[in-house]
Amino acid sequence: MTKIPPLLAKEIRSYFYSPIAYVVLVAFLLFNGFVFFILMTALNDPRMLREGSAMQFFFGGTIFFYIVLSIVVSVITMRLIAEERKSGTIEVLMTSPITDGDLVVSKFLGALAFYVFLWLPTLAYVALLGRYAEIDLGPVWAGYLGTVLFGAMCIALGLLCSALTRNQIIAAISSFVLITVIWSVGIFRTFVSGPLAQGVFGYVSILDHFYEGFGRGIVDTRPVVYYASATVLFLFLTVKVVESRKWR
Amino acid sequence: MIDVRHLTKRYGDTLAVDDISFQVGKGEILGFLGPNGAGKTTTMRILTCFMPPTAGAASVAGFDIFRQSLDVRRVIGYLPENVPLYADMRVGEFLEFRAHLKGIPRRRRAGRMREVMEMVGIADVRGRIIGHLSKGYRQRVGIAEALIHDPAVLILDEPTLGLDPNQIRQVRGLIKDLGRNYTILLSTHILPEVEAVCGRVIIIDHGRIVAMDTPAGLSQHLRGEGRLSLEARGPGAEIQAALERMDGVRAVRRRGNGVSTFSVEVEAGRDIREEIFGMMAARGWALREMRTETVSLEDIFVHITTREGETGE
Repeated sequence: MTKIPPLLAKEIRSYFYSPIAYVVLVAFLLFNGFVFFILMTALNDPRMLREGSAMQFFFGGTIFFYIVLSIVVSVITMRLIAEERKSGTIEVLMTSPITDGDLVVSKFLGALAFYVFLWLPTLAYVALLGRYAEIDLGPVWAGYLGTVLFGAMCIALGLLCSALTRNQIIAAISSFVLITVIWSVGIFRTFVSGPLAQGVFGYVSILDHFYEGFGRGIVDTRPVVYYASATVLFLFLTVKVVESRKWR
Repeated sequence: MIDVRHLTKRYGDTLAVDDISFQVGKGEILGFLGPNGAGKTTTMRILTCFMPPTAGAASVAGFDIFRQSLDVRRVIGYLPENVPLYADMRVGEFLEFRAHLKGIPRRRRAGRMREVMEMVGIADVRGRIIGHLSKGYRQRVGIAEALIHDPAVLILDEPTLGLDPNQIRQVRGLIKDLGRNYTILLSTHILPEVEAVCGRVIIIDHGRIVAMDTPAGLSQHLRGEGRLSLEARGPGAEIQAALERMDGVRAVRRRGNGVSTFSVEVEAGRDIREEIFGMMAARGWALREMRTETVSLEDIFVHITTREGETGE
């Protein structure tokens, strides 16, 4: 555990060695700015009947949120372990006095830090809204919390995909597909009947977590436990995959 | 410092390392020699705790590779084959990261980095991006990385691979210098390298140790059989027949006619050069050249590994 600070510092810095960080950052801000603009336009239209605050729609209220999140997470996690394996630097790392767990946790925390960093500029939207209207900060903070927790789960999944291959493109595509499955699986609730199936799909329906929960300022422990336990599971599996070189 | 006992490693059905045992003493430079795919890298990866063996045991500086893996990794400096480095980091930054990771306290880091960079001659590229460096510099950055925490044991996997002759000379010189303070295990498939730097050699082939001795000792071992090389003018076949009839000659091979060269295998411990001269002079054949063939490590290597290969197939 004492080895995490140097590893984490290196992980965070290495995002900024490559142009990927800057490209992702700019694209992310442009796209979110566009979404925010559309939301503002729509909510200010008197013919628009839906009620709600801007930030409620911003966090998980539109399909854009999920698509952007899936893409961004896939791009920032794809190289994490795949690149170390491809270039052989994993050998230098794993023959240093660090455990496989140290490595995986540092990679995860580094990606999470970058992900949080990506969202920071959107605080400007909150400030902007605050100038023109009274805003309820509860749903805003709950929205950010949900975004970070759900993001953490997706990052852990992306990290697992990156550990499974040496090819960054394969890592990115597989994590994009799996993350998409995770956030969209709740849709199947409309196709199943019976209390059990309804309950299960309701529990894992991320769309509902955001629309009914975080977006309204409600932090329900059930999605929090779901995201946290899935994150831990994916990290555990990643450690096992990194360790698997030892049993082959 | 390194103690390997009955180490075996299988990948599925392939036997990569087959029951090898050896020891490396403190301050020794041991050369690990073998054709590609002989099991050198696998052995090194086991010793550096990158992967465990299928069977057998090993310890480095008294630490067991299974039970004290982190301690082993703390006392080893390892340079893997092809020197994997982070291409987009700067040299100084990379060494700082590695020094921090290997637990060198902050206040000693800058001093130690300066020392190591001086030692391997990379102080002038400290601020350059690793990916922009020449192969020779990258190799030295790799060696600096392996040395940064002042390890008791250095394990270098093909440290001169892909370098030009000048760079090879420099890196070999560096390794020789390091040999005064460190215990070094070095793998290579380049023979002059071993003769140039190593105190002792292990030849490994198909995962098994086929010879272990000093470079001189290995040469001695084969030189015992003795071989002379002659060049003579005269009827080739007759000369060959005459040589074969001589006492102490085991076999004669001939190339060419008119002016022919002969390779004469002589029984161990016999010196028949003067008799050959006498015989040739008496028959009126002109002896243009005669010399003792020195057996290089290369001959031994080819001799041992191909013989092993033939019986192995």
